[in-house]
Amino acid sequence: MKRIAHILLIAFMAIGMVRGQGDPLVDALRKYQAGALLEAKDLVDRAVVSAEHGTNAEAWLLRGFIYKDAFKAATDIAQGDGFRAVAITSLQRCLALDEAGTYRENATQAYDYLARSYFNDAARALTEMNDQRAIDVFGKYKEATLALDPTADLRSKEVEFTNALGTVYTKRFTAQREDTTMFEQAVDAYEHVLAIDPENYGANYNLSTLYYNRGVFNIRRISAEDEIPTIMQVQEASREFFQLALPYMLKAHDMNPTRKETLLGLEGIYYSLQDQESSDKFRQLFEEIAPEEHR
Amino acid sequence: MTATRSIRILLLAPFFLFAAVPQQPREAEKDTTAILQANYLYNIAKLVEWKDADMRNGNFVIGVMGSANLYQELIKQYSTRTVGKQPIEVRKLPRSAEVERCHMLFVGRSDLGLLPEIYKRMNGKPTLVVTEYTGALEDGAVVNFVKVDNLLKYEMSLVNAQKHGLVVGLTLKNLAHRVEE
Repeated sequence: MKRIAHILLIAFMAIGMVRGQGDPLVDALRKYQAGALLEAKDLVDRAVVSAEHGTNAEAWLLRGFIYKDAFKAATDIAQGDGFRAVAITSLQRCLALDEAGTYRENATQAYDYLARSYFNDAARALTEMNDQRAIDVFGKYKEATLALDPTADLRSKEVEFTNALGTVYTKRFTAQREDTTMFEQAVDAYEHVLAIDPENYGANYNLSTLYYNRGVFNIRRISAEDEIPTIMQVQEASREFFQLALPYMLKAHDMNPTRKETLLGLEGIYYSLQDQESSDKFRQLFEEIAPEEHR
Repeated sequence: MTATRSIRILLLAPFFLFAAVPQQPREAEKDTTAILQANYLYNIAKLVEWKDADMRNGNFVIGVMGSANLYQELIKQYSTRTVGKQPIEVRKLPRSAEVERCHMLFVGRSDLGLLPEIYKRMNGKPTLVVTEYTGALEDGAVVNFVKVDNLLKYEMSLVNAQKHGLVVGLTLKNLAHRVEE
């Protein structure tokens, strides 16, 4: 349906452009229709800086379309990013100039597509463990979305993205535990999620797990060379992490009391806090849940 | 794979990671108590002297009854070590009050029922009995693990140590949570 609207719009633009060859905008449209994106791009760039088309919403819309398609066709990430940025600003300019709203629907559709592509790229970058790119493009997603609608509520996207970012940091920390920078960043990520949505199950659970595993890791590092005073110091340091883990796991448990991983999580935390009674209580609760109720 | 799906997978990943935590029996990797107890036992062994000359030769035997994770941890971290010149030998003991001769004997919570008989049989023998229950020193244990302020500590009885021909070093005594003299 969007494709049909797009074709109709191009046809409409072609009818409107009665000027002949030599007008870079008309030539850009023809090249665009012919699929010659690179030439269309050069021509439309010339058109929008000309005195004739500089304030023409139609010209900026065409530029937005051409650059959007160039972005889609790009095989190089940096090049694609550049094309997308131009497409976004061109469509913004079109919307600003289009006082009658003639191109609003088409421009908005294309703009939404580009803004969503930022979010999708952020998710892809996280999957590839490229957190810096993920942060950059997620920032652009927010910027682009808010530019079109300053009242847009991005909290759910922020939560979704930041939770996933926290997971990436956690994985990095797990792979290289001597470097606690990733641990701190993971904590910051989950705390950021909880500041937006204190009831977020994933962030509560993951933050608790992060603290718990840090405490366990400290204890696991104890070696035969360590003497009793060192054991005590390590225990005290780990106790802090276990105590930090506890309220988040309790919260996650309160949100879903029959979830097996939180019951096991609480069992483990209390066990490490040397609270055998509470640990046994949660083990019992876990065992009382029939297997089909585990979710 | 869509981006949303990718994010969901990332979000779920730690859930599955954690789901692999304590099972029945507790996963050794996460059994913090077993890790601590193993280290304590090794340090205690180094800070006690066995008066019996026979005990100062051959392997240094640590017997473990009732805690598979502690046994595993001792094997993994300490079985290639020595106490003085004596190589450490860790033995997993069957559930029985008929305990073979060993330098240290740990009896876990699950085998408390056997302890009265074990204390009786160990009476006067050069074995350092370690347990983990309230009132153990009064019953005859030399060292007992206790939980204090969310930490694992130990208490000890110098009287019981003496009965087993053990000389407790000052450091071990000073670092104990409680000493029964």
